Amino acid sequence: MMNKNFLEIKNVSFRAGGKTKVKNVSFSIENKGDIICLLGPSGVGKTTILRTIAGLEKIKSGSIKLKDKILSSAKDHVEPENRNVSLSFQENSLFPHYTVEKNINLGFESKKLNGKKKINPNKIIKLLNIEKILSKYPHQISAGEAQRAALARALVTQPDLLLLDEPLSNVDQSFKEEIQVQLKKLLNDLKITTIIVTHDSYEAFYLGSKCGVILNDQLKQYDDPYNVYHFPNSIEVVNFLNRGILIPAKVTGENSLENEDLGTIKGNFIKHYPKGSDVKLLLQPEDLEHDDKSNLKLEVVDRKFRGTNFIYTLKTTTNHLIPVLVHSHHIHQHQVEEKFGIKRPIYIDHIVCF
Amino acid sequence: MKFNFWYLSSLSISLIVAIPILTVFTSFFQDTSNYFEILKQTFFFEYIFNSLILLIGVLFLTFILGVGSAYIVSFYQFPGANFFKWALILSFAVPPYIYAYSLFAFFENYGTAFTILKHLFGDGDYNKHIPKFSGMFGLILSISFSLYAYVYILARSSFLYQSQNLIELGKNLGFSKFKSFHSIILPAARPAIVAGLSLVAMETLAEFGAVDFFSVNTLTTGIYNAWITFDDLAFANRISFFLLLFIFILFLTENLSRKKARYHMEVKGGFKKKEKIKLNGAKSFFAFIFCFTLFFLSFLFPLSQMLYWTIKFPENLAGFQITDLLLNTLYLVSLSSLVLLFFALISNYGNRVSNKKILNTLSTFSISGYAIPGVILAIAFITFVAWFDENLIKALGFLSIKKIFIGSILGLVIVYFVRFYSLAFNGIKSGYEKMNIAVDESAYLLGYSKTKTFLNIHIPYLRNSLLFVIILISLEIIRELPITLILRPFNFETFATTAYISASEDLLEAAAVPSLCLIIIASFFILLTSKYILRDNDE
Amino acid sequence: MKKITISSLILSLFISTFAIANEVNIFNARHYKADAELYGKFTKATGIKVNLINGKSGALEKRMIEEGADSAADLYITADAGRCGAFQAKGMTQSGLTSATIKSSVPKNFRTSHWVGVAKRARIIYYSPERVTGAELSGMTYEGLADPKWKGRLVIRKSSNIYNKSLVASLIANNGKKATAAWAKGVVANMARESTGNDRAQIMAVAAGEADIAVANTYYLALMLSGNKGAEQQEAAKKVKAFFPNQDGRGTHMNISCAALVKGAPNKANAIALVDFLLSPEAQEHFTNNTFEFPMIAGVSPSPLVVNNLGLDFKQDLKTKVSTYGKNQAAALEVMTAAGWK
Repeated sequence: MMNKNFLEIKNVSFRAGGKTKVKNVSFSIENKGDIICLLGPSGVGKTTILRTIAGLEKIKSGSIKLKDKILSSAKDHVEPENRNVSLSFQENSLFPHYTVEKNINLGFESKKLNGKKKINPNKIIKLLNIEKILSKYPHQISAGEAQRAALARALVTQPDLLLLDEPLSNVDQSFKEEIQVQLKKLLNDLKITTIIVTHDSYEAFYLGSKCGVILNDQLKQYDDPYNVYHFPNSIEVVNFLNRGILIPAKVTGENSLENEDLGTIKGNFIKHYPKGSDVKLLLQPEDLEHDDKSNLKLEVVDRKFRGTNFIYTLKTTTNHLIPVLVHSHHIHQHQVEEKFGIKRPIYIDHIVCF
Repeated sequence: MKFNFWYLSSLSISLIVAIPILTVFTSFFQDTSNYFEILKQTFFFEYIFNSLILLIGVLFLTFILGVGSAYIVSFYQFPGANFFKWALILSFAVPPYIYAYSLFAFFENYGTAFTILKHLFGDGDYNKHIPKFSGMFGLILSISFSLYAYVYILARSSFLYQSQNLIELGKNLGFSKFKSFHSIILPAARPAIVAGLSLVAMETLAEFGAVDFFSVNTLTTGIYNAWITFDDLAFANRISFFLLLFIFILFLTENLSRKKARYHMEVKGGFKKKEKIKLNGAKSFFAFIFCFTLFFLSFLFPLSQMLYWTIKFPENLAGFQITDLLLNTLYLVSLSSLVLLFFALISNYGNRVSNKKILNTLSTFSISGYAIPGVILAIAFITFVAWFDENLIKALGFLSIKKIFIGSILGLVIVYFVRFYSLAFNGIKSGYEKMNIAVDESAYLLGYSKTKTFLNIHIPYLRNSLLFVIILISLEIIRELPITLILRPFNFETFATTAYISASEDLLEAAAVPSLCLIIIASFFILLTSKYILRDNDE
Repeated sequence: MKKITISSLILSLFISTFAIANEVNIFNARHYKADAELYGKFTKATGIKVNLINGKSGALEKRMIEEGADSAADLYITADAGRCGAFQAKGMTQSGLTSATIKSSVPKNFRTSHWVGVAKRARIIYYSPERVTGAELSGMTYEGLADPKWKGRLVIRKSSNIYNKSLVASLIANNGKKATAAWAKGVVANMARESTGNDRAQIMAVAAGEADIAVANTYYLALMLSGNKGAEQQEAAKKVKAFFPNQDGRGTHMNISCAALVKGAPNKANAIALVDFLLSPEAQEHFTNNTFEFPMIAGVSPSPLVVNNLGLDFKQDLKTKVSTYGKNQAAALEVMTAAGWK
């Protein structure tokens, strides 16, 4: 009662085709205009969540409330056409027998907008860069264009809630970042509350004010992107984000650990562990620093060029593979099988252990 | 509630279709009369033997003609190739029975061939040297030339979808053209060809007019004769049982092959628009001659024979009630299309929104009517109505309902419905299949109710499919003979029945005028649909 | 507008079946244009509308049987007494077709109280004068068709044909089933080719030299000679001569086109009126000049083509009642099938 969330999902098990896809999910969007992202590997049920919120699938337990009105529960089900929720599908869902323009107009005409036409379709068309394809039919345009056209059609209806399923999956990499920026600006300008489903963590971190990570039929973590990135709450989330490796360590004090290969590591624990406990320490590429003079030397087994930086993979004597990030302007490059020095003492600002 | 509605409508459609099938099957277990038991045995084996010979002959010929022409037209460029591409389907406009009339008339003693020879070389004793096409051989030719287009259309579309890679593969392996055709092209098109051949087989077994004209006793005419000559409905039904068993196997073959064919066609990845091989000199001449001969024999020949007769015996034009026949045909066509489309749409939409397995099964069952020969459907329908009337309606003290169903347009439309439902259903289904289910869902999300989605999104989308289905139904009804013949009301003729009636009274030349009209109208409808039938890759 | 069209279309489904008027309903198995013209004249003269359902006799009979007492059929018009007889035997006709006109104009042999002949035809032998001598033909009978001297020289149509069934039925009536069975074997042995085609095709086979003699009905030759079938057939017909068999015995096999009064006919009086009309001199003349059949009534002459090329003074078989054809039909078919007559 205290906090009136814009969208509230409580204890819902999401089902599709008679099977439970994601169990017992609760999360909420606090304010109108917020953008949140749902992140997870493909096939995990992200699309099912969107379809359920849109009313295309029914639920057997829990409740979905939008603006304090129940949309779905075990006994209530508002039909999709009466929800004012828009869903932009991952596959081409444009009406194949109408031009792109007519498709967009159909969205515009269909809903009673109560005279409040805040959205100018032309602005959206321009923003999404689809002016050139307006007179074309869906089968004449590329998948990326179709996605943007469908997005435009969803936007012009001024939905209370916009659901985007992998909105940029078919957009060229070169164009992607630009459109991400535009999309975020557009959604913020229009104050359209949006849930974006994606498997791309960078996209999620950029677009969402909150991110949900769905793994193994559960919503594992729902938090700020920063927190999800820096403070993953489970080993699964770490593995999914592919942000580093876990190495065994022993807690040696209030702010120190000991690892067999790396020796003493200092920093601030984000969670308290009693002295002497064995933990798994999350080691991320940016945690270690390169130092040729250091006597802690490890063998290079791989080097990846990432433009602004290199990521070296080092092998420890206990056969752990550790990633280390080095700026690409760094004076000299290390070849595979060379030795690579690591600066000591090792200091990690926030230590994540499991 | 919604589930119940779709369920009930699908169920009732299936029930209507089930009536003739069940009638046939239940009669199988009744005793046949002892009337000429031995005679019946003799005939029975003759029926089966003749049907087999006919089937083998027609399948062989349609395979050669259909696959051969499809291969030439899809892989090679030669003068007239683009013309033959669609001209070869015009043979559909000539039903087997009209082909049979033409064949007989041309080659009979003192027939058209004789006249031509006489005009060219003066008087002479030509009759002995003119081959006679009657009986089984004439029948095989008539049916083959009329039906090979099934194989042609399906084989052609399969050839068109074969990727260039596949053909280049043959070249890389150093295969000769024949070996490429034999080892690569043909096997890849096999499902489509089998589907085409099964359709031909079903139509052959169902053929009535031509078989009757050449008085060859097949299972289908056997049923008809048993019913009429032996007065033995149970025996007729017993033959039907075997025929249906036969057809059921074909029906399954066709359905399976069609699924495979579709799968094959949808592998669009790696598709490169094929460069047709340009033929020169003798080869190009041969390709042209092959296609032209086929076009000539299958279409021009019967057309000319009918035209020739119409001109030679102009007295048959006088009093020919073309307006009446045309109006009758249009009336049947529009009524049947309306009813067929209405139910086919409901059933397809029901399948789409409810996605229940039982509905799918029911609709698969309800399209089986197409496999059952019209003669059997008509007879079974009369039997059923008579039984129902005697045992239920009259027993309950109501007035007889026979007149409402037998010898009425209503009865005619019902039986057409059973026979042609698969055309309407599959036509709409293939239209629907191309539309992603997400299209419906996004319509809902744009605020369209289910009804509005159906009316404002589906119907406009299916416009072309609906048109195509209407034309297909029209084509079938224009050519349809046995059902119309048996069930039509007083003073009601179509082009097909007029032609048949005249032909059966040894007035073949009087059959020419209605036959000619039928060919022309049917050709017109075919040309309207050729765009859809011959859909190329770029569309 | 669209809706009105559609609903009126659907409505028409139900209305069309309930028209009641001053009419007569004919199940018609004769499809000469001349017949249709006659019906038109009848309507003009009497105001009675003629409703037709055309079809082959077998299918028409079957439909009347299945419709049973509810059938709208008044008259069944078909060629061949065998059909009318068999139809009567099934209990599908009724008595009462006995107007004064019928009684006075139709010889007793060609009518029953259930059905009446409206035109006559004979089933005769055609021969090639070039290849068949007068001596060979002298005293020729139907029975003689089995004579081995005709081996490889005879053509006749299929056994399923009603004209053949009636002819063989009359032979069974006269000679018994056993003798006829032997006869059928002889006929099959004499055939120049497997049976195929209609009566006209048999005549043309003789003209074309495929065979020397053929069995066919009388009106076919006249039809060919009329030129209605084209100049070639007219020429062909001139190469063939007609011969009336059994002149020294019972006479030539006669048959009729007949009209039967259907059981439960809703318009019985109109049906009788129509039959009376068909027996009028006007209608009879129309028949003879268009279908080249023999007239049923006295005082009307056959077509000149018939008179000149076939002759009139032949002995008709009036001993074998045409009403027996139906009875022996099944036996006839059995005999022919057993002999291997296709």
